[in-house]
Amino acid sequence: MVVCVIALVAFAILGIFSARYRKLAREAADCTFKKLTLRPCDTGLDVRIKASVTSKLVNYPRTAKFMHKNFDAMMTLMFIIMVVSMIFTGYYGIKGVYNYAQFGNCNGPDSSDFCIFKAALDAPHNRVGALWCTAEGCTCITPTVNCTVSGQNYSSCGGATCSCPA
Amino acid sequence: MVFDVEKIRKDFPILERKINNKRLVYLDNACMTLRPSQVISAMNRYYEEFPACAGRSAHKLASRTNDEYAKARERIARFIGAKPNEVIFTRNTTEGINLIAHSLDLKSGDAVLTTDKEHNSNLLPWQMLREKGVKHVVVRSNEDGTFNFDRFLRGLTPDVKLVSMVHTSNLDGVTIPAKKVIEAAHGNGSLVLLDAAQSVPHKKIDVKQLGVDFLAFSGHKMCGSSGTGVLYGKYDLLRKLKPFMVGGDTVKSTTYETAEFLEPPEKFEAGLQNYAGAIGLAAAAEYLEKIGMENIERHEIELNMFITDEISKIPGLKIIGPQNPELRSGIISFIIEGMDMHYVAKMLDNVANIAVRSGQHCVHSWFNSCGMAGTVRASLYFYNTIEEAVIFIGALKKIAALR
Repeated sequence: MVVCVIALVAFAILGIFSARYRKLAREAADCTFKKLTLRPCDTGLDVRIKASVTSKLVNYPRTAKFMHKNFDAMMTLMFIIMVVSMIFTGYYGIKGVYNYAQFGNCNGPDSSDFCIFKAALDAPHNRVGALWCTAEGCTCITPTVNCTVSGQNYSSCGGATCSCPA
Repeated sequence: MVFDVEKIRKDFPILERKINNKRLVYLDNACMTLRPSQVISAMNRYYEEFPACAGRSAHKLASRTNDEYAKARERIARFIGAKPNEVIFTRNTTEGINLIAHSLDLKSGDAVLTTDKEHNSNLLPWQMLREKGVKHVVVRSNEDGTFNFDRFLRGLTPDVKLVSMVHTSNLDGVTIPAKKVIEAAHGNGSLVLLDAAQSVPHKKIDVKQLGVDFLAFSGHKMCGSSGTGVLYGKYDLLRKLKPFMVGGDTVKSTTYETAEFLEPPEKFEAGLQNYAGAIGLAAAAEYLEKIGMENIERHEIELNMFITDEISKIPGLKIIGPQNPELRSGIISFIIEGMDMHYVAKMLDNVANIAVRSGQHCVHSWFNSCGMAGTVRASLYFYNTIEEAVIFIGALKKIAALR
């Protein structure tokens, strides 16, 4: 069953980009459901996946034989790794988003470590309260109330700390 | 014509192609054969030069279509030793068998005799007739898959009105002794229908020599176009049959209450026909005749002997049907113990671009009665080579070694 679950996750993600994988994802879902309800998976998806994996190794007979004989165990191991990595990814992902929203850095306050959100947003900048400040100046993020900073009037800017670093 | 397989292969555009930088090894010919450029050109000629209706309009294109369609019928008739008006174009073998099942006036208490290895197309029509009270009797084969003539004679009771049998089995390649079967059936007053889907493409068949009453085969298994088939019937019998499907081009005239049907074969060919397909099928028949049906049969058996000899040595591999390849025409149906048949087929495809079929090959009834899940089936044709056989054997050895 585990191979169907792995396939379901993988094909569901790939299915976002290609209709071909959407069909396979549906097949994997059907296979998973059947296995969960203690019925045999009759789509042959598990067999095709096993053949796809093993055939890549056929020129390395020992490895291929090992994979053929221990395919289910290998898939179970992969499944465990997938679940654990999903938990970790989820935990750190959510934590990073929270940190970024709260402190302007995904690694938390007082950290200068790499932050993917900052990198993605390009250009050196600092978020200070409701302002987004770069070398060129500041722009408003959450326009709520009037505010003046460094002689510039951010008429629609608001927040608790309407100031830019010197 | 000298049988030169390398020269023949040049006629098949698909065999020039490489997939993942490897040659295609096509061993799924019992399902569908490849098409030579001669067939493709013949079909294209219809679409490019005279894409009109036959039998209806009077313009030049329609006349040409009429002529070419009639020529195609004559060509096919010659191919099987029949008269043109005994050849009905169908979509496939299945349609031909269904036509007989629906047109032959079988009554409650009548029986139809089949083998135990019938394709679903020669099983389901008779199962459906059970509702009318028609009995379906099955003759079991020998342990090795060969035909059991004694059992057949025992099953041939006076109520058997039709013997409908697969000529060459798509499951294991065994050919029944058709002439003996037909003679015995006729002695019993029974008609005989042969499912010749796997025999007409691979050996010389002469319906008059056989004395068969009806014979059905498909175009796509003999290098012809998909969606084409033929039903042969003795003319006198065809005249007595009711049409199965009615409509345009089956009648001389109609009133609101009555219809005056055309003579066979037209009365069985309702609606606009697959002209390109029929023309392509005729081109395929011509192509096969040029190669020589005897050459085709011999080449397949020689290849089968070579492959059988080699794969029989593979531990765990078991061939279904008689072990003598000469009794299996171009078919090698096998299992590898401890390996799923679909897995083996997919591995062959992935490892060496070898196209085979796996499963129950539409003969579920036989597999279910034997408690078998299915087999891998390699089926050969005249364009397969010894080199391809070597690739197939090598790949099978690698796969079987994974056990």
